[in-house]
Amino acid sequence: MILLPILIYNNRAALETSDLPVLSTLRINSILLFLLIFSIGSLASGADRHAVEVRHSLGTATITDTPSRVVSLYQGASDSLAALGIQPVGMVESWTQKPIYDYLGDRLGQPRMLGMETQPDLEGIAWLQPDLIVGARYRHYEVYPLLDQIAPTVIAEDVYDFRSLLGMLAQATGRTNRAHALLDQWDARVEDFQARIREKLGDQWPMEVAILSFRGDHARIYYKGFAKQVLDELGFKAPPAHRKDTWGIKLTSQESIPAMDADAVFIFMLGDPAIQRTYENWTSHPLWENLSAVRRDQVFQVDPVTWNMGAGIIAAHRLLDDLYDHYGLEDGVSEGCILC
Amino acid sequence: MLNSALARSAGALTCLLLLALAAVASLVYGNIPVTLGTLLDSLFAYDAGNIQHLVIRSERVSRTVVALAVGAGLAVAGVLMQSLTRNPLASPGILGINAGALFFVVAGATLFSLSLPSDLIWLAFLGAGVAAGLVFTLGQEPGQGLSPVRTVLAGVAITALFVSFSQGLLIMNQDRLESLLFWLAGSVSGRSLDAVMGLLPIIAVAIVITLLMTRQLNLLGMDDEVIQGLGLNVVRTRLLCVVLVIALAGTAVAIAGLIGFVGLIVPHMARAIFGTDHRWLLPASALIGAALLLIADTVARLVIPPQEIPVGVVTALLGTPLFLHLARKTRSLT
Repeated sequence: MILLPILIYNNRAALETSDLPVLSTLRINSILLFLLIFSIGSLASGADRHAVEVRHSLGTATITDTPSRVVSLYQGASDSLAALGIQPVGMVESWTQKPIYDYLGDRLGQPRMLGMETQPDLEGIAWLQPDLIVGARYRHYEVYPLLDQIAPTVIAEDVYDFRSLLGMLAQATGRTNRAHALLDQWDARVEDFQARIREKLGDQWPMEVAILSFRGDHARIYYKGFAKQVLDELGFKAPPAHRKDTWGIKLTSQESIPAMDADAVFIFMLGDPAIQRTYENWTSHPLWENLSAVRRDQVFQVDPVTWNMGAGIIAAHRLLDDLYDHYGLEDGVSEGCILC
Repeated sequence: MLNSALARSAGALTCLLLLALAAVASLVYGNIPVTLGTLLDSLFAYDAGNIQHLVIRSERVSRTVVALAVGAGLAVAGVLMQSLTRNPLASPGILGINAGALFFVVAGATLFSLSLPSDLIWLAFLGAGVAAGLVFTLGQEPGQGLSPVRTVLAGVAITALFVSFSQGLLIMNQDRLESLLFWLAGSVSGRSLDAVMGLLPIIAVAIVITLLMTRQLNLLGMDDEVIQGLGLNVVRTRLLCVVLVIALAGTAVAIAGLIGFVGLIVPHMARAIFGTDHRWLLPASALIGAALLLIADTVARLVIPPQEIPVGVVTALLGTPLFLHLARKTRSLT
């Protein structure tokens, strides 16, 4: 019975975008061998054009040439690379709709798949001879020294901060103009949305919203994460009890339903039958009917890929599309949108 | 340890009182506070429109009943296991019961796509029975019936086998994990009374039968020759014990998932207070086991509301200091 909890833990981590890191460092020896071979190879081809120093969460990466072989080690990085028009040579698989989220379609080309975000295939990465690797602190701080020996590696502070990720990637890949255009586009849309929703809701704006999710055996309230990040930027507020510096909470008893209350509620969850059952159980409870969001018909089921897993600027735009739809607002900017 | 019959009676009454208080606390405390008056109203003058009444009826009654039955069942099964194998470290899990339940649940969910809690509960019970049956068969000493040592060894082997099967299935079917969490997590909450109603009588009947067997259980501690000399059929008694353990621990694990500690420690706590006579040990274990799980579940709700911490963690946190205290005191007395 000893190993089982570990296995379960691994599996649980695999279903999240914001759980603990699970890293495989088992094959370090063979990787070191690869590193040796590749580092000898790279000595010969030191065509130094303009060295760029990129500061990231775990240090500074020196990138000597415009990277052409990029490896993405988490979902937000894959999304952001696609937004910058870069097709990675390797990437980790998606959490659902494997191996690549439908919304990213063929923007990413046909990269080599490198396993799960929580335990990327280091040997596979080394074989690809990348010249830039993108990871996230929470996921990859333990393998960062190895990654950095394979190729210059930039590490994002949070898996869901699409804005600073885009800036960092632009700097590393020399696509700052494109990134500026993307962020300007985004800012314009944010402004447009804010103006329209303020007009529509009047003194009900800014409204307090809760982000919920259901699992096979529990419900969750998210205090942080991708959806929260975007909603914050748009000017939505969290209920006072949800303003905490932790990812969120798990609720196991339906007695806790009142803790979910807000002016509006967004729910994302996967389509598993057990999850569906939990959802039905909880949402048929009289305490649920009592929530002010439910009474005012402000409960929205949203796509978990867009709202939680995508975590890049394309996903952020899609999230904003959803909000325009939900509130029946006219989208004033997306006409000239680079991405849409 | 309490030596006179009077002291023991007083001790038993104290345990009973503790259990009653624990049950009331389990009904009253939680995320939504409820007064004693409201509790009585909800039980005797139920008003479906009242949120507090509803919470008590829909949530707390079921988890109170489940904690009570599972706690008592695990503790009594623990006493039986320890007497049966003459091994103070024996607990219900050692007969392969947890592993068997686990394997059947995992196989049902991954190979047959079962995910209804009511299905999983019966699968777990079936698995517990099959595994314990296997262990019992392997534990037979040729010509002499059930051997305690062989049984323990067989239990360890069967446990290892079923756990590795389960892991293999889970690795190959990671997607199905979500539907298993309900059972794997080890909890007395979220079990609807309808789903577990069929199993609760099994625990009740098994405990009553166990209480009727106190004389035989007292003899089981002696050498086999002595027992036979005293006119007890060792083979039949041990067989009956095995069946009772399967019924008790199998039901408990089926209803509440994997909750550790109660089956191992509660018998020791009861022994430290009431001595080794099963006439006192068994009922005391049942009372203490039920009270411990009830209190643990209530505490689990109150530590970081609105979240709950796993009940298995609380049983260990509450039980261990108490157990250590008793163990020290007992040593100084003897």
